[in-house]
This record gives sequence, C-alpha cells and structure tokens, in this order.
Amino acid sequence: MPDRKLDNGGPGAARIDELMRRRAFATALGGPENVARQHKGGRLTVRERIARITDQGSLREVGTLAGTGEYDEHNVLRKVTPAPYVAGLARIDGRPVAIGGEDFTVRGGTSFGALRRKGGQGGYVEDLAHHYKIPLVNLIDGAGGTVTSAKRRGYVVFPGVDGFERSVELLGEVPVVSAVLGTAAGGPAGRAILSHFSVMVRGSSQIFAAGPPVVKRSLGQIIDKEDLGGAAVAVDEAGSIHNAVETEDDALDQVRRFLSFMPQNVWELPPVLAVTDPVDRREDALLEIVPESRTRAYDMQRLLELVVDRESILEIQPTHGRAVITALARLAGRPVGLVANNPKIYGGAMDADAAHKQIHFMELCDTFHIPLIFFVDVPGFMVGLKAERQATLREGMRAVYVAGQLRVPTLTLVIRKCYGMAGMATCNKNDIDLKLAWPSGEWGSLPVEGGVAAAFRREIAAADDPKAREKEIEAELRAYASPFRTAEAFAVEEIIDPRETRPLLCEYIALSEGRLKIGLGPRTKAGVSP
Amino acid sequence: MATTEITSDVIGTVWKIEKAVGDSVAEGEIIMILESMKMEIPVEAPAAGTIAALKVATEESVQEDQVLCLIES
Repeated sequence: MPDRKLDNGGPGAARIDELMRRRAFATALGGPENVARQHKGGRLTVRERIARITDQGSLREVGTLAGTGEYDEHNVLRKVTPAPYVAGLARIDGRPVAIGGEDFTVRGGTSFGALRRKGGQGGYVEDLAHHYKIPLVNLIDGAGGTVTSAKRRGYVVFPGVDGFERSVELLGEVPVVSAVLGTAAGGPAGRAILSHFSVMVRGSSQIFAAGPPVVKRSLGQIIDKEDLGGAAVAVDEAGSIHNAVETEDDALDQVRRFLSFMPQNVWELPPVLAVTDPVDRREDALLEIVPESRTRAYDMQRLLELVVDRESILEIQPTHGRAVITALARLAGRPVGLVANNPKIYGGAMDADAAHKQIHFMELCDTFHIPLIFFVDVPGFMVGLKAERQATLREGMRAVYVAGQLRVPTLTLVIRKCYGMAGMATCNKNDIDLKLAWPSGEWGSLPVEGGVAAAFRREIAAADDPKAREKEIEAELRAYASPFRTAEAFAVEEIIDPRETRPLLCEYIALSEGRLKIGLGPRTKAGVSP
Repeated sequence: MATTEITSDVIGTVWKIEKAVGDSVAEGEIIMILESMKMEIPVEAPAAGTIAALKVATEESVQEDQVLCLIES
C-alpha cells in the first residue's frame, strides 16, 4: 500500500509519522549490511521471496511492527529491530494463502521470544491458515532456538511450549508447503518436515536436526553443513525433503506448481483447468514402448508424458525411492496422482524407500481428493539381505495397509508385471476396483521364474536334465499367464489398446467427479499402522 | 578433469558391457546392463564423459555399492 505522509500538522500526522517510521524499520530487515551479506550468499531476503511468489500487491502483512524497540531516556523511540519473521495473507495465482518466513538478516532467523509467535510451529501464520482454511506456505531459513534467549529470560523453556499441535492439525485440513531456502535446524527443520510438500535448493540450503557445531560437540564428528544436510543427504538419500532444485526461483516455482493442483482445503475439490491437450490424443508410440523382451527396462517417465496433459507433470521425490515414480499431473485439466513403478530401478521392485514414498503420495492424494492412477509394472517387493534389513516387508505392507484405506477414486492400469503383495498396493478395493490392462500385462502371486524352482523342487531334482525340466515347467506355466485368459474369467475388468489409454483415463477421471463430491471433508484415520 | 565412480545399486551379475575404456558417453547413455530381480538393470552414465576404467567383467557377480567403472569428465 502506498504510504502517503500527512503534513497538516495535526495529532493524526504525528501518529501516522510514527507508524511510517516503524514500518520503515520493518522493511529495512536486519539493515543494509546484513541484507548485502544475504544477497552475496546467493540468497534473497524473506521480503523478496514473498514478493516473488505472491501476486503483486497482494500481501496483507500481519505483525509488521513486532520487534524489539530501543528508547532513549525520555522514552523516545530510537529504533526497532524487527522480529526475525515476516508473515501475512497473500494470493498465489489469485488464490489466498497464509505465508511466512524467517528473516535470516535478523539474528540469523532465530526464534523470537515475544508474547506470541509470528511463525514456525504454533505461530500466528498457522492460525491464519487454520481459521481461513487456506494453504500455508513456509519459507524456511532459520536455526530455531538459541541459548541466548535463556540469558535474556533468565530461565529455559520446556520443549513444546510452542508445540507442533497446530502444525499437525493443518496436515489434515489445508495444503502445507515448505521451501527450505537456507540452513534449517531445530524447530524450523521440524516445521519443514510436517508439510505435504517440501523443496530445497541444491548447494545453498541444508537441513538437519542439529548443525555442525552441535555434531562436533556431541560426537566429535567434524563435518561441514553441506555434507551433513545438503540435498544429496536430505533429499536424494534420506527423502526428508521431497524435491531439490537449482535456484531459489525454481523452489518458489515448484511451490506455486504444487499448489496449482491442490484445493484450498479438504472441504473443496481440487481446481480444474481448461482443456489444452486433445482428450482423444492417441499416441502410436505407446504401442512400442514396452519391449518385446519381458526382462528389458523401458522409460516409464516417457510413457506417463505420452498419456497425461502435455507438460502437466510435477514429479514428487524424483531422486529418492526411485523404484516408484510419484507425480501430480492433469488429465483433461483435472488433477490426478500418478503412481508408476520404474522398471529401470530394481526392475521396479518395491524397496523400503519406494514404499515410504508411495505411502506419502497416496495419503496426499486421498486427503485432497485427487484421483489416483497406478501404472503398474512391479515384480514384487525387493528381495535380499539389504532389503530385509531395511524392513522392506514391513514398509511394503504399510503401503498395502494405506492402499487398503483409500477413499479417493482409483484406477489401476497394468502395463506389464503385477505380482504379489506389492501388486496389492496398486489397487483400491474400496473403490469400484477397476483394473485395466495393456496386452503386455502379466500377473500372479509371484513371477513364474521365481516360483518354479521352489514349487517343483523334487520333480526338477529327479529329472535327467534338471535345468531343462525347470525350463519346460516354466514354459508350461507361462502359457496360463496370458492376460487374455484372466480377462476370459473376468478377473481383470478390461484389456485395452495402449493407444486408447489417454482417452479412456480422461473419461474415467471425469466420471469420478461425482464420487469426489460426496467424499469431501477430512479423512479419519483408524487403527494402528503396521 | 573429475573422475566419477559408478556403483551398482543392486546385487546381481554383469550381463552385458556396452562400452569400452576410452569410449565417450553422453548423460543417460547405457554403459552396461546388470541382471538382477530377473530383470535387465541398465547402468546409465550420470553425466557425459569418457570411460576411464571398467572394474568388472561380463558374468561377474556384483554387490551393492560395488564400483563398476570410472568416468572422467
């Protein structure tokens, strides 16, 4: 809003003068030197970040004047050091959000010990999102509590005075998105994790429970912050943060794209855009994408691109748990969630990381009423000692457990393999349980190759040429594995021409709108997750 | 010149080696194919470069995280 000075000399002018002066302290953040240092590190200030991601002029700041005032002996204001957090209401692509972020230029974005918190867990920005039922955007750049607060207060606070209760509540109400744009430790790091979607910048942001000084003091381990909590660890390996991007602008762009798929809250339907890609687009390339050899990998990402609306895919966790691909996309303008096995990684077998990733994504889509489509090519759970040590069986069964509770409309499209318990995590029996399959589909409780040696052990051992006998049995059993035989028994609902995939999926997704409408509202959770 | 170690994601055997020492590779190009989980698992170049060394031979078993080859870029 333009600040115009009143100069009529009345008492109102003096009050407005003080307001303007105080606002100026707020917009100056931690002062020119600290702002220059922030820029030198390739980072924007929190006010610049908010300006870049929100619609121009849409910010309605809350708590602008919060800070620490310094007064002279006559109680005349000298200056205000602003609270290291900027928050308010704003719009992104025309839709309201609550947004806030730490200001690293003021005391490194450490927590501010005021009567009421502006941001972070239990902060006012969370109340804005909760009461207005709008998405929350956290721009995270801070290290949480500091021991200097204890010196100021004269006592230490108990953990959870500013608890995560509201943060937890929001996860069932409105989209919560966090961009980690600096070094995050402690509370801000925890806050980033309690999000539906999180993103960080490769090379310039880090996240950990505690940073290098604490690690050195606790463990004697000497490690720099990028090695400890850069994207290679936090995103690619641990999956603590979902996506990593190259620049701050890319991070803000991903936040905006993620929100474009989301409803404002769980009581609304996700936004439908105008159709920009022909619904009846039939791609001949889909006929050839699955190789003749059933053991050869192919490009599942490419397959997805050929089916959904052009350039609509936003992959979630592309570098973690890569045996499964999870992506938001659109079909005829309607948001859908894609879960696709990736034959290039472990042959598409589900390991513990892939299971975690799939669980998060299924819960996300179920919560925000985004229909799920499974593109199935899964030989089963990953096997072997490493997989067992990672609790692949337990994590995989958690995926089955979550799939078993889905209420959102779901389609299963079998591209190639669908085997065993991992195959069960690709269906939603609460829905109409519509399973479409390409003619390249094959399924069963386990692949023929894995099962023959065990099931026919004696017969194979007794044969003159055991190897040849094993091959013979395999060939015999494989004949029964034709998808057309299952279709004869109506145990798979429809076998489709791969070129019909897009038109058919568009139609089924459009049809599911009626069901989505009656399923609005929060999801209740029952029972104990395995 | 940076040398990158390409390691195996899985336990398996080396089925086919597609590149020789000195060959240049583009990002995403297949260097070798492992067999694991009854599937062909392609090993792709993470970045463009030249094959500096092959550390495994056809039909050799490999362990997780075992170095398969070196790429110079």
